[in-house]
Amino acid sequence: MASLRDIRKHIDSVKSIKQITYAMKMVAAARIKRAQGAILASRPFAVEMDRMIADLYCELSEEDLAGTPARELFCERPAGGTLVLVLVTADKGLCGSFNTNLLKASAAWLKEHRGRKIVVVAVGRKGRDFLKRLKGLDLEMAHEMVGIFPKAGYVHAQLLADALLKLYAERPVESVTLLYNEFKSMLTQRIVTDRLLPIKGHLLGCASGAKGKASSDFLFEPCKAELLGSLLPRHIGAQLYRMLLESQAAELAARMNAMESASQNASELIEGLTLKMNKTRQAMITTELNEIVSGSEALGG
Amino acid sequence: MGKKQLLLTIVTPEKTVLTDKPVDFVTIPAFGGEMGVLPGHASFVAQLKEGVMHYRDGVHREIFAVLSGFAEIHHDKVLVLAEAAELSKEVNEERARQAYQKAKETLAIHGADLDLDEANAALRRAAVRLKVAEFRRKHKQ
Repeated sequence: MASLRDIRKHIDSVKSIKQITYAMKMVAAARIKRAQGAILASRPFAVEMDRMIADLYCELSEEDLAGTPARELFCERPAGGTLVLVLVTADKGLCGSFNTNLLKASAAWLKEHRGRKIVVVAVGRKGRDFLKRLKGLDLEMAHEMVGIFPKAGYVHAQLLADALLKLYAERPVESVTLLYNEFKSMLTQRIVTDRLLPIKGHLLGCASGAKGKASSDFLFEPCKAELLGSLLPRHIGAQLYRMLLESQAAELAARMNAMESASQNASELIEGLTLKMNKTRQAMITTELNEIVSGSEALGG
Repeated sequence: MGKKQLLLTIVTPEKTVLTDKPVDFVTIPAFGGEMGVLPGHASFVAQLKEGVMHYRDGVHREIFAVLSGFAEIHHDKVLVLAEAAELSKEVNEERARQAYQKAKETLAIHGADLDLDEANAALRRAAVRLKVAEFRRKHKQ
């Protein structure tokens, strides 16, 4: 049976663990407010950007588009080319199943596309390390981005967008897929698999009949196709920015929950240990008393 | 409201700078050159380059540093989508000057093996910030 001293030591160590987990929870809780604010603040830009692109896309006819850089981003590439996976994980652990689930999902994705040429782009340390550990797969790490959380900014999204567009332009890439955690609520995250490139034309909200009619009285500078060509990379940047922010908020939420339950578990553990310590102490006192009483009885008797 | 005014909205990915602010006059740094916008302007979509943006409402003037983006003018509404927009009072002159120096140095040192476009863009951005900071100094003192 553990001695009194051992139990006390154990209680102390659990107490300090609890302090740490509690502090981490508070830090995550403070940061998540800012992360949520950033998501909200990024929305108007994305909405306006989408509307502008949809307007432009609808006004351009197929002939106008042909041969422009913008066309490249829309049209489907022939199947069988390289696949690009963008995996967004956290930089740090201690956030419950946030990373584990994501890594499992990415492993499943890789398995599904076994035999294809796959290029990965890793955001976050956990994902990068995981992909580096994988062996026996035809993987190539094209770009990595580590240490950007929890201060991901538009600059990072832009760097990522530049890297992806370069990759898309230079190689026979069939599609670019995003894999990240979406911030659904404070309690749940959802793993999302999303196609970034080629851009889905029908998503731009253009009825097929309306396409190509030069309707409104807008003036453009420079010409429409060129304008669309420079708008699209920014659209991709905005999309990536949203993805980074979602992942960041989801990570903080996951960490907050994980640390909250860790603190709770520590509290329970401390309670149990305290009870055990008191029982042990009581048992010791009882034994001592017994010894004294029986000793004096032996003497007096 | 006696006379017609423009409604100016400026959004960046990180925040919304202005929402439907009534102003008398706006200049935007369009791709082909500076462009002034008054109420009643034709509908227009323009690409912006990094530059300085003014607006005036009544007697009050304000100046922004805008770092590339797009502007849409439609029915007396001006919508600016910029990658970054900084109010003149938010621009840190010291930092801008340092960035300017640094950009110049990288351009001078590397020349060939470096992404020239990138370095030039950084230099232009820093120059715009400096200009805005100078403007503020002139008008506040």
